[in-house]
Amino acid sequence: MTDFDAIVIGAGNAGLTAATALQRGGARTLLLERHNIPGGCATSFVRGEFEFEVALHQLSGMGTEKSPFIMRKIFSDLGIMDQLNIVEERELYRVVMPSKENSSISGFEHEIDVTLPANIKALKKTLCAHYPEESESIEAYLTLCEKLSLECFMMLPRAQKMSDQKILDSTCPNYIKYGLRPSKDVLNEFFSNKDLKAVIAAYWCYIGLPPKDIPFCDLAVMIYAYAAFKPCHVQGGSQAISSALLESFLTAGGKVLFNTGAAKIITENEQVKGVQTEHGDIFTCEHIISNTSPQHTFNELLDIPTPKEAADDMKSRRLGTSAFVLYLGLDCTPKEIGITAASNFIIDDRDEEVAFDTMQGIKDPTHTMLTCYNHDDPSFAPEGKSSLSLLCLQYGQAWQDLPVEEYAQAKYDFAEKLIDHAERAFPNIRKNIEEVEVATPLTMMRYLNTPGGAIYGFQQNTQDAVMFRDRISAISGLHMAGCWNGMGGFQPTYMIGESTARAVLKKIKKQKQSEIQQQELTHA
Amino acid sequence: MPNTNTENNILHAVDGYNDALLHQNELTKSGTDFNEQNGRVANTIASLHPKRIQLVVSEVIVDTASTKTLRFKAEDNFLPPFQAGQYINLFVNIDGTETARPYAISSAPQERGFYDLTIKRVADGFVSHFLLDDVEVGDHFQSTGPMGTFYHNPLFHGDDLVFLAGGSGIAPARSMILNMIENTLLINKQTNKLGARKIHLVYASSYEADVIYEDELKNLEKEHEFLTVTWLISRPTKNYIGRTGHINAQLLTELLGDDLELFQSKMFYICGPTSFHDFCAEQLQQLKVKAKRVRIECNGPPKHPEELAGWPENLIASDKVTVTIHKADGSQGQFEARVDEPLLNSMERNGYSAENACRSGECSLCRVKVLKGSVFNPAEARLRSTDEAYGWCHSCVAFPTSDVELLV
Repeated sequence: MTDFDAIVIGAGNAGLTAATALQRGGARTLLLERHNIPGGCATSFVRGEFEFEVALHQLSGMGTEKSPFIMRKIFSDLGIMDQLNIVEERELYRVVMPSKENSSISGFEHEIDVTLPANIKALKKTLCAHYPEESESIEAYLTLCEKLSLECFMMLPRAQKMSDQKILDSTCPNYIKYGLRPSKDVLNEFFSNKDLKAVIAAYWCYIGLPPKDIPFCDLAVMIYAYAAFKPCHVQGGSQAISSALLESFLTAGGKVLFNTGAAKIITENEQVKGVQTEHGDIFTCEHIISNTSPQHTFNELLDIPTPKEAADDMKSRRLGTSAFVLYLGLDCTPKEIGITAASNFIIDDRDEEVAFDTMQGIKDPTHTMLTCYNHDDPSFAPEGKSSLSLLCLQYGQAWQDLPVEEYAQAKYDFAEKLIDHAERAFPNIRKNIEEVEVATPLTMMRYLNTPGGAIYGFQQNTQDAVMFRDRISAISGLHMAGCWNGMGGFQPTYMIGESTARAVLKKIKKQKQSEIQQQELTHA
Repeated sequence: MPNTNTENNILHAVDGYNDALLHQNELTKSGTDFNEQNGRVANTIASLHPKRIQLVVSEVIVDTASTKTLRFKAEDNFLPPFQAGQYINLFVNIDGTETARPYAISSAPQERGFYDLTIKRVADGFVSHFLLDDVEVGDHFQSTGPMGTFYHNPLFHGDDLVFLAGGSGIAPARSMILNMIENTLLINKQTNKLGARKIHLVYASSYEADVIYEDELKNLEKEHEFLTVTWLISRPTKNYIGRTGHINAQLLTELLGDDLELFQSKMFYICGPTSFHDFCAEQLQQLKVKAKRVRIECNGPPKHPEELAGWPENLIASDKVTVTIHKADGSQGQFEARVDEPLLNSMERNGYSAENACRSGECSLCRVKVLKGSVFNPAEARLRSTDEAYGWCHSCVAFPTSDVELLV
């Protein structure tokens, strides 16, 4: 008998979810994590009086208590829903484009300043009030987003499963027409006002590619799902989810090793045999679920050369973005710096491709995102104070190219620019700082162990999607789960962890059944 | 892998599907399997934040009767950069016990060839005696990479700095001062102007003979306008001429002026023994200095947890409890420990370990899970809000208050 039925490498969202589902499903599971806490991105850290949220901005897919959506079911199945205190957010986001003139004078009118409520009806109303000349298009666009979302959730998977052209034609008309078109094209088809386009497409940041490279279904589902099912937060931050998952895993009898990275995936005849840890211990198993990148899994951990299937898959992928983040604890209330929504996009240009260009190097930021965690959840910061994260997407290469001696200074120089950028919309951030921690793409790399410090995995352009991929099955018993093989972000990675575990449990069950049958045969 | 079985795919009817397939083909032709980047992530991380550094003692400098500076070089000649004020955790094996202690690096960050660790004898200590008495040039050690949050952060610390150092708390101050000298030289070269930053060091020692870096600091003060040093001896000899006593609010207003508004723009750094921290912090509170203008370096677990608020009644420091260790591989072990000893220390003495670095409750590397029983978590334990609900504690500052079972 092997030491474990399954070994999960990495306690990120997908790894934790997979491990918990496996152990609760009866598989003897070992979870390996190279850091000292569970969660990967879904963690927090303490500085002074503040506990900072590392990565969760808006949790999607929860729904409300009255009309729950899929994530509540998944968390219930994993045994943690009753451990979580969910906070519903009131707004989707606020978009501010500060005035270029006299921007230092507070009170000067911004070029764009729109706050979108987290409610479909109110969302339509707000957009129509700001852009009355495009009311009809707004109405039609949001209706399309809704229909497209329903097709993506319900009808498309069914049509694909049945592989029936007629069903696809009759049930997914909007998907056929709009689903895979570049978002930019669809935005241009519906709207002429540039401000409106920038406002309605602001969630592109959560994918990390400009709208011209994002399939419309992704952008449409995001705005519809957030508005319909509410953006959420969890008290205690995403660490509360990770800690609850780990507890559920341990209660079910799972074994975990922290400060223990995987060093080698051991195979025999292209079949998984076990894992060697960084400390030299070897644990045998039937299945490995890798919650680390395919680059690390296939090119660095696997004890044989990269299988052709995996190599070909990686050739069609491009490394996704990382991020530069400031975690700010302020000695003032959110109100005092003008915060009126939890999520804020501060933009200098209506054109997202300008932002994408600045993301390539250490250049002056043009698009930043400011999240205030105690706007909707006052318990998230000490009384009278504020807990913020100020972020801009950025690729890691330029940081990797810096001499190590110049790293700290470069980090502070860029942080200053980020604060300057944000202060044009939210003045006086700097003078209220009580605690600050700076995370560069190399910080992401350190904690996530991803090439380039990637936070969403590969670039999520149209062809990157699961529907353009076959499952890599070159190594029997090796399964990938994480943002690298699907969408990035919290909901997608929880879901892929859960579905991977389900598939592995099925295989284990089958294996056991056939073993029993064989035993019966030999006994007969 | 890219979709190979596309002929019968119903998705061809979807506008954009074929374009995406074409795009995928193009990408596959021009892309790579990323094998050329193997090792890059690990090497990049190791160049800034290695988990371990292999060190060798290159010099032992006697500072005072109670203090030595050990100079460490890297076995592979590469030391990761650090910010002045940061520490490394030095692993030692003393008569079979594997343990470690964090020490602030006292040399300048610009010095890329070595790290200096300044070690003062702790009367009832364990590791300091070993480092002072048994270490010779050529001895090999392991340490963590540089860590910690006690350094000048230019984003909000400003240019008006006050460092309150007690005893060996001078070590990070020395690094910060040497760093400012290097930076001032740089600024002078580039702009021909003096750097705006200044620092006032208030350095308290018990005895005159204990004062570390006295000559060096006196010379530096003469050479550099940005540096002011105030010396303070709490237990002077009869013939001592100079300031005596403790750092208190009165002394601070005397040295820094009585304009309390001006205090709010200064940044106060405090480093010394725990009692020194507490006293200095209290004095600054009296002067209405806000929390955001005070940085306190952590410095080990509380020596007398039984004197702290929240300690269980009827529990005496010398009481003993049974600690049961459960390891993930299923093995178990048991030992007795005093309730006033941090779990990490008693674990190490009994042959168990947990990853650790700050050993002061801050970095959280040593967290273990309490499966049964109870522990006392002092204020030093910077726990995450969900830790206690699930029994996680920072073993370096957690004290067992009953028989406990731990998942390590």
